[in-house]
Amino acid sequence: MEYNNQNEEVISNEIQDPSTEKVLTKKDLNKMVWRSLLLQSSFNYERMQGGGWTYSLIPGLKKIHTNDHDLSNALQDHMQFFNTHPFLITFVQGVILAMEENKEKRETIRGIKVALMGPLGGIGDALFWLTLLPITGGIAASLSAEGNVAGPIIFLVAFNLVHFFLRFFLMHYGYGMGTRAITVLKEGTKKVSRAASIVGMMVVGALVASYINLSLNWTIQAGEIPVDIQGEVIDAIMPGLLPLLYTMLCYWLLKKGRSPLTLIGMTIVLGLAGSILGVM
Amino acid sequence: MFVQALLIGLWAGLAGIDQFNGLTHIHRPIVTGPVIGLILGDFTLGLMAGATLELVWAGMVPLAGAQPPNVVIGGVIGTAFAIITGQDPAVAVGIAVPFAVAAQASITLIFTAFAPVMHKMDVHAKNANTKGIDHLTYIQPILLFGFFFIIAFLPIFFGAEQAAEIVSLLPEWLINGLSVAGGIMPAIGFAMLLNIMFKWVYAPFFAIGFVAVAYAGLPILAIAIVGVAIAAYDYFIQDNVKPEPVTNTQTTIDDEEDFSDGI
Repeated sequence: MEYNNQNEEVISNEIQDPSTEKVLTKKDLNKMVWRSLLLQSSFNYERMQGGGWTYSLIPGLKKIHTNDHDLSNALQDHMQFFNTHPFLITFVQGVILAMEENKEKRETIRGIKVALMGPLGGIGDALFWLTLLPITGGIAASLSAEGNVAGPIIFLVAFNLVHFFLRFFLMHYGYGMGTRAITVLKEGTKKVSRAASIVGMMVVGALVASYINLSLNWTIQAGEIPVDIQGEVIDAIMPGLLPLLYTMLCYWLLKKGRSPLTLIGMTIVLGLAGSILGVM
Repeated sequence: MFVQALLIGLWAGLAGIDQFNGLTHIHRPIVTGPVIGLILGDFTLGLMAGATLELVWAGMVPLAGAQPPNVVIGGVIGTAFAIITGQDPAVAVGIAVPFAVAAQASITLIFTAFAPVMHKMDVHAKNANTKGIDHLTYIQPILLFGFFFIIAFLPIFFGAEQAAEIVSLLPEWLINGLSVAGGIMPAIGFAMLLNIMFKWVYAPFFAIGFVAVAYAGLPILAIAIVGVAIAAYDYFIQDNVKPEPVTNTQTTIDDEEDFSDGI
């Protein structure tokens, strides 16, 4: 999140045309929602989404800054490092466009932009990757697994209803919010991510119990009596015990800093070992 | 096989763009599976392979910038090999993962190599040349399309029959072992989710979700509804207790701060 000092000097705070007319229409905002789909189009490890972020704002910036000097300043400023959650980007767009229209100082706009992108990243992860995707994907997969064509259809419709509703809603909401957005977000962050986490954790608990296929196919002779380890011992302790334990093991290894690739390797070795020994 | 490999390549190219731009999620295995199935003439098997692969990649999402094995290539190659070789989708996971890892490594390279383009964009920004910025914006999606097309096309076109032969030569224990491993692999995805989400305050909700399936056998949607109900209750309760300086609530809020900072 460091800014290039050279650029810092080039981007002046001076505004040549300080008129604060409201020039953006609802149509302009909607146009920029569509442009926001290309947020990661210039993704790179130096500025991340900086280029796509600037691209998404261009129609608005052109309309607001009719003065070439001001437009150049704004473009150079937005071209700096930027990274937030790709689904919640329109909220930042709305807030920033309201501020641009109000001809706020460049450093104020930059400050708000940077302050917004971090927390939104966290909320977006909780809402989309950890809640919406596992829920829609999980439900759809259970349908598809039975050969039901409704699986992928329900997935695409449900996912994109939420996705595009949020894109358009957040643009207009953010724009209306303007500079007040920061305080509102700070109050909202905790409650939104808490609610998302509760639903998400319940769903993950359910997925662990239903979708991990890990059981033993192993019968031992206890004296004369054959004992089915999975059916008579493990399930008697707790159904789904092995999937739960294996998930906890993976979680623990991740916490220890092991990479997901190591875990994939470990799982393949376990599967092969279980297969060779004939117990899985 | 040429036409089929071509169609699969085109789909992979579109899905590859969608993974980073557009994000309509046509690139997930749940959608890619049946599409590949349609191309290769076994829609139902594609549907089922898509479901298996979707679950394997359930937790492999780009959290906080970390890039997991590529879901597009995993879904496309996994489904295609499951259908061509007639193997169980869980076996196909084992074949697809190395391709997916290689694809992700290449994408990392693309993202690194793309940094100089930003300096070209800087020049356009300085000159207030918005058309110039627009044009540079379209380069990377086109590159991604080409990249995904090639990565999906080549193994299907050249490797499919060989892959089928290789798989038929594979010993029973290896096929069975890969299948067992494929069945366990969602655990890694869920562990990755927990790695980001887990806090002790949320542990009870994990337990409720787990027990509701392990003992009661409830479907996921039912559990999600209960989850929303609990979250809503918790949301309103928090509103009510706000005025009182209860120490319990205080710790909860501190936890929340950690949560948002931690990501």
